[in-house]
Amino acid sequence: MPMYGDLGNKLVQHAKRTQNLAHLPPYQTELVRAVTREVRDLDKDVASLLEPFQGSFDPSADQPTACTLLVNHLSIRRNKRCLLAYHRTRTDKLEELVWNGSDVLDLAGQQAGGANGASAADGGASSSLSPQEEDYVRQYGDLLAAYKGQWTDIDLTGSLEPPRDLFIDVRVLKDAGEIQTEYGAINLTKNSQFYVRQGDVERLIAQGYLQKLG
Amino acid sequence: MSYYDIDSILTDAEKIPCTFQLDIPDLGYLDNTPTQPLKAGTKVNLPLWLAEMLAIANASDTEGKPFVTFDLPPALGNDVVQALKADPRAVPLRDQSAHFYGLATQMMELSEEQELAAILRKTFVIRASEVALYARKVGGVGHKGKGGADEGSNLGVGGAGEDFLRALDEWERSLFRKAHDGTKSGKEWMEGIKKH
Repeated sequence: MPMYGDLGNKLVQHAKRTQNLAHLPPYQTELVRAVTREVRDLDKDVASLLEPFQGSFDPSADQPTACTLLVNHLSIRRNKRCLLAYHRTRTDKLEELVWNGSDVLDLAGQQAGGANGASAADGGASSSLSPQEEDYVRQYGDLLAAYKGQWTDIDLTGSLEPPRDLFIDVRVLKDAGEIQTEYGAINLTKNSQFYVRQGDVERLIAQGYLQKLG
Repeated sequence: MSYYDIDSILTDAEKIPCTFQLDIPDLGYLDNTPTQPLKAGTKVNLPLWLAEMLAIANASDTEGKPFVTFDLPPALGNDVVQALKADPRAVPLRDQSAHFYGLATQMMELSEEQELAAILRKTFVIRASEVALYARKVGGVGHKGKGGADEGSNLGVGGAGEDFLRALDEWERSLFRKAHDGTKSGKEWMEGIKKH
């Protein structure tokens, strides 16, 4: 028989799995909604239990009711903790992705599209982020950009490995348009190869537009 | 143990056997009989997050008795304890509980079983050195596992250690992973130095 808190537990098991994955699995909209609904139901129960007492409830005079209230209260608290932990696990992951410079919103769409590739029935490329999470990523990205803007000489999200060579060979994996470098403009069209200065294209490699060769 | 800690939350979901000490009309659903009152003396398995508070909530009152009393879960039962006494390395802890030590720690906070605490402490120490041994072995030789992503399921070592490593609880697993990654990074660093 299902018990209060079971759904929240499912959510946390999702979070546990998320921790060990490189990408972010789809947001559990239904489950989150079910858990919040459970909290609301429990709150209603508490209100109706307390109603006859008109705000003068004495726990030691009515122990069974006190115990029921405690169980309801603990279940609500448990659900709250599960919900918060689930979302926190995901935002931690999102922040990590933003720091790594991957285009999270773009990536999310692709993954969802790829996963649904076999069963394209469910509406094509839906994002694995909730709308709120997309918002979060956007705003966090803005924050990070503002923070990095204070030190124009240092790329805080740049690679920590010192480069072996100043110039590298790259292959273009997807069209990235024209970029400006010290040596003029390069038009990055898919499947072409270039010998470029590493510093000019580091971001594009991180974002998955280019692949470093050799 | 942080509020947001996933393993701590999952540990709190482990169930322990409880006995209700009073009749409670509205909680019949805890015993699968939603329409009937819960009678005093009913035994129910409750998750830790519920059992813990129910067991201590009322106890501080002078005339009040706790809502429930609890027993040690089967994972800490006599059979397991006897086996641990004999040889900690031979007990598949994971079969008892995926969060064996987490559960045990919580239970030790609620009850004062000095002997059990001592046995558990000894168990961890002996098993930890075994874990470290295997982690060093696996991390030292050319191991296929790359990066943290697939590390979770990547405990296959082959040989005699396999059974032991499969039966680690979550805490020991993280210990193994840390020891393994540490050895591996150390080795990589040493190799990197030679090249330059």
